[in-house]
Amino acid sequence: MSFRVIKSGFMSTIQDAGRFGLAHYGVSQSGVADEQAASWANHLLANHFNAAVIEITLGHFECVALDDADIVITGADLNFTLNGKRIAMWQQSHIVKGDKIHCSGPQKGQGIRAYIAVKGGFNTESLFNSRSVNVREHIGQALHEGDILDSVVTMSKRLKRSTPTFFRPDYSAPLVLRFMPSYQYDFFTPQQVDTLLNQTYLMHSASDRTGCRLDGQAVAEVPPNMISEGIAYGSIEVTTAGQPIILLKDRPTIGGYPKIGTVFSLDLAKLAQRQPGIEITFKLMMLDEAQRLRQQFNTFFGIK
Amino acid sequence: MIEIKLAAENAIIIYFGQQSSDELLDEIAFYNALLKQELGELIVDAVPSYTSLLLSYRLDKISHQAFSTRVEQIITTNTWIIKLTRTDVIDIPVLYDTDVGLDLAFFLDCTGLDLKTVIQLHSEHKYRVHAVGFSPAFAFLGTVDSRLRMPRLATPRVNIPAGSVGIADNQTAVYPVDSAGGWQIIGRTPMDLSLANPDNLTLFQVGDTVRFRSIQHAEYLALGGQL
Repeated sequence: MSFRVIKSGFMSTIQDAGRFGLAHYGVSQSGVADEQAASWANHLLANHFNAAVIEITLGHFECVALDDADIVITGADLNFTLNGKRIAMWQQSHIVKGDKIHCSGPQKGQGIRAYIAVKGGFNTESLFNSRSVNVREHIGQALHEGDILDSVVTMSKRLKRSTPTFFRPDYSAPLVLRFMPSYQYDFFTPQQVDTLLNQTYLMHSASDRTGCRLDGQAVAEVPPNMISEGIAYGSIEVTTAGQPIILLKDRPTIGGYPKIGTVFSLDLAKLAQRQPGIEITFKLMMLDEAQRLRQQFNTFFGIK
Repeated sequence: MIEIKLAAENAIIIYFGQQSSDELLDEIAFYNALLKQELGELIVDAVPSYTSLLLSYRLDKISHQAFSTRVEQIITTNTWIIKLTRTDVIDIPVLYDTDVGLDLAFFLDCTGLDLKTVIQLHSEHKYRVHAVGFSPAFAFLGTVDSRLRMPRLATPRVNIPAGSVGIADNQTAVYPVDSAGGWQIIGRTPMDLSLANPDNLTLFQVGDTVRFRSIQHAEYLALGGQL
């Protein structure tokens, strides 16, 4: 099975579960921005959890099938069509040679990232243990017009699998980010923590796969910058200006802003679908609950 | 005092001290190697940096409580005593010249030093890698001679060419690829440190020793340097 890219859109990249074991060389985690949508796409095709998918950000992607293939599209509803007719998302579709898949841009207030998975996963070059593209690090490249994407498997059993409606996320729902008190939480005063907890932030437009910037009433007199240290996925840095930045998959491996907490990973999947300008609030979460929910997710999708 | 704190639902961070020093680097390197040896199959990533070690672990195999307890046991039952003796030095040739040192003239003005002294102070010192990050193969080297300590530029440059050698406060570094940045650039190495050569990924590890060697235009060009 293979595809040729006709239009790359705003930003479309190949991503898998991420790049691990090399963070001490300064290599960032990378990988799918929305683990929930991407995991469903692979799950419905009975793929390995680490199978590479296409991550389409903000739409306007188009490709043509050069062979018959089984695919699943999940994530944001970017008005996907197959030869001009709507194609169902969150379920397996069989497409044939010559079929064209197309999408337009996101609707206002709706999700922004969609995933196309193919049976067996895309077989692009693995760089430093992963197929995930990281543009900032010059590891791999975003998709371009004319790129040929092959998949690992050429034969498959047809299965009619779909994500139950109950589990399909609503990307326009108000977003409450649950976070754990971590890192320098104790360096912040109760009043500073309250500033974070008792207001509604707006997502800033300068947000991407590296980090999500928020705009709100500033946290006053932020603790000074620190000696740089390793930063985990979801760390909430508070800048000198008192605004939070939530660090995402393409974040650098170390940083020196004080961190007030760490957002639960599955809430970061929801965050990855939100558009600038949407409202975001914070809520504290117990570590036990975060571990339990993440474990459930990992077990269901076979993530190791 | 060693302190362990939560970093994420699948990560902890261990603080080994308050101030960075060569000795602390060795201590962190010792415990990093020990923890990887003892808990290897549970550890996903281990990121040492100045005074700390971030460990992410396999949540499918172990919980926060159990992992933290194992880490604590290993640290408390093994005392760091042996100094790791590193003899290999990574040698980086540098052309210190205003042709490639974008901020060199400004740097000389601000420090009040002449070029010869700057070269001497920068290249006669052996540096240790205190952290690797910002981008792959970007090594934060310390500690810069007090006479060379200059702050970052007030406005970062939009593009610093690959190979540029910069100073920011008490640290110095080489930019492996073209990037934005605010360090004061005093020279450039002809060495390719980018991931175009995949071996460069593992060139610098925290704790390594690095030395700069002053070269002239002819050698710079012969080594593939661009003006």
